[in-house]
Amino acid sequence: MTLAHQATLIARKDLLIEVRGRHALGTLLPFAATVLVAFGFAFGPGRDVLERVAPGLLWMAVLFSAVMASRRAYQTESEDGALEGLLLAPIDKAAVFLGKAFAVTVELLALVIAVLLLVIVLFDLSVANPFLVLAAFVLGAIGLAAVGSLFGVVAESARTREAIFPMLVLPLVAPVLIAGVRATDLAAAGRSSEVLSWLGLLAAFDVVFLSVGVLVFGYLLED
Amino acid sequence: MRTLPRSPIGLKDAAVDLRGVTRLFGAAPALVRVDLAIERGEAVVLRGPNGAGKSTLLRIVATALSPTYGGGSVLGFDLADAREEIRRRSELLTHRTRLYEELTARENLELFADLLGIHHDLVHGALERVALVDVADERVRTFSAGMRQKVAVARAIVRDAELLLLDEPTTGLDEAARSAVDEMMLHASREGRTLVIATHHAVAPGLAARVVTLRDGFVEAGS
Amino acid sequence: MAATAERALGKATSRSGEHLLGIAALVALGVSAVLSLVVAPPDSVQGEVQRIMYVHVPAAWLAYLSFFVVFIASIAYLKTRRTRWDRVAAASAEIGVLFTSLAIVLGMLWGKPVWGTWWTWDPRLTTTAVLLLIYIAYLAIRRITDNPSRRARWAAVIGIVGFIDVPIVHLSVVWWRSLHQGPTVFRLGGPEIGGTMLLALLVALAAFTITYAYLMTLRLRVGRLEERAAREALSPLVGAER
Repeated sequence: MTLAHQATLIARKDLLIEVRGRHALGTLLPFAATVLVAFGFAFGPGRDVLERVAPGLLWMAVLFSAVMASRRAYQTESEDGALEGLLLAPIDKAAVFLGKAFAVTVELLALVIAVLLLVIVLFDLSVANPFLVLAAFVLGAIGLAAVGSLFGVVAESARTREAIFPMLVLPLVAPVLIAGVRATDLAAAGRSSEVLSWLGLLAAFDVVFLSVGVLVFGYLLED
Repeated sequence: MRTLPRSPIGLKDAAVDLRGVTRLFGAAPALVRVDLAIERGEAVVLRGPNGAGKSTLLRIVATALSPTYGGGSVLGFDLADAREEIRRRSELLTHRTRLYEELTARENLELFADLLGIHHDLVHGALERVALVDVADERVRTFSAGMRQKVAVARAIVRDAELLLLDEPTTGLDEAARSAVDEMMLHASREGRTLVIATHHAVAPGLAARVVTLRDGFVEAGS
Repeated sequence: MAATAERALGKATSRSGEHLLGIAALVALGVSAVLSLVVAPPDSVQGEVQRIMYVHVPAAWLAYLSFFVVFIASIAYLKTRRTRWDRVAAASAEIGVLFTSLAIVLGMLWGKPVWGTWWTWDPRLTTTAVLLLIYIAYLAIRRITDNPSRRARWAAVIGIVGFIDVPIVHLSVVWWRSLHQGPTVFRLGGPEIGGTMLLALLVALAAFTITYAYLMTLRLRVGRLEERAAREALSPLVGAER
């Protein structure tokens, strides 16, 4: 029973619950769409401004959705005290972290694709290099999911207040936001060579946070 | 009967050996200097009023909680250092059923079995013993409290752990569910498993059990 | 009998050690003040305003040093489970948040006359601002968790993760800012620091570091007292030493 196998079981469980509960479809997507339309009202209707800020707004919407998706990933565990079940199961606790991070990443990516189409339509964003844009989002989603899945435990445990979770996550994922927006901006403008260093930064962030998460997650879970 | 390697420690084969266990929640003591020794294969009933510390004691033995002071061993494994070994060999059954609402009963059990490396065949057998086969493929969300508890009992059957820890296992259950729980306990006891049961109700007749009484976090003398 | 004597000696030493540090800090700060405000020459470009550097830079240094201590103490706590390391981490975080805020405020006060605005997303100041946010999250989690072992563990994880994140944040902000390099960039340090100015800066750094050590001993003593008080409140029931 390897770590990878255990993580896969947990990821599959989370995704199955997600598909059946339709939280992403029912709540996250409307939320992201609403956020973007609201931004449209706030910054529009002039095309210039909207085009300029589109990458930033897109990433903001993804960021907020990541916070919600991570929190949701742990809400399903607290319904019947299932999180304690994972703690008591003689499995590698890091598998819980990796499995959840993977599931949240998949949810975010599904969301990103839908929202990207929306932004291209609403804000008239022209994308010169879609593959690089997607790469940025994949790497960014992994990073956001990793931080969210790590601290989601804290968010769902008894006696913690609502606001602590975004307070923890947002400063930590600042590099993802910066690198993601830059990469998207440059990729949309077709300046591919500059995008690569930003993608490298995102990849490094992912590696660091996934590794550290694997090492420390157990400590967050125990009581 | 699946056997796991026996613990390295000794002749006096205690199932539970707690010394001076104290657990505080914030400043409030839930357990105070509790000493408890239980032999392998014994059945012990914990009695005491609400708030006496029975649930806390069970959860400490299960390693769901750690003692604030004191320690001991369970099945020969140290409470502080070898928690995963204890978890591999014990099962905690409480009113928090630790199920996933969006999964079916069968899926919940199969996930559990997969994580623990147990074959799926045992799942079907367990479902039969608790008479849940007809609803096995319904989502747990549709289940009543009694049915959920039966799924948890099925999980314990699948697990067939050396040490069974039960916290008010029959509260709120109908006749059929209650007898399923009793039957499971008797079966486990006959197979040489160690049982620790916290309950207000009468324990299954035929289960020769020693009584330990708790009050305000203390074990009462003469238990 | 010997054990109590040893404990009494330990207490006496640490108390006088604490007083010694306090005096050393005071003296060092005094010397530093004289050097920075009187002896060192004013900057050729920025004038007297530049003297803020002698407080701003040490404050920023302490902000990061404190967090490094939080990082090390957090790892030590998770490895050993000894509450002393949790106390060290908490103390360093509290002191650190003060110096981080000081560094940022001074950075803004310095920036206004030099750059013309309060905030220009200067890479180092921005990273320090993110550091402040992480500190605040660290302290917030400590405040809202009532279970002491959980509080220590969660805080330790944040201390570790946060510290590892800071260099990544800095790198990303530096790259980000390099896209908007204006024609003239005022480096907060001025074009060059040499001679007396460098000496004054180094003395200031040393003085602040000694002050940090002193504040730490104070805060740690308070921490030990807090713990003893909590334990004594429970001793009729518990009586056990950990």
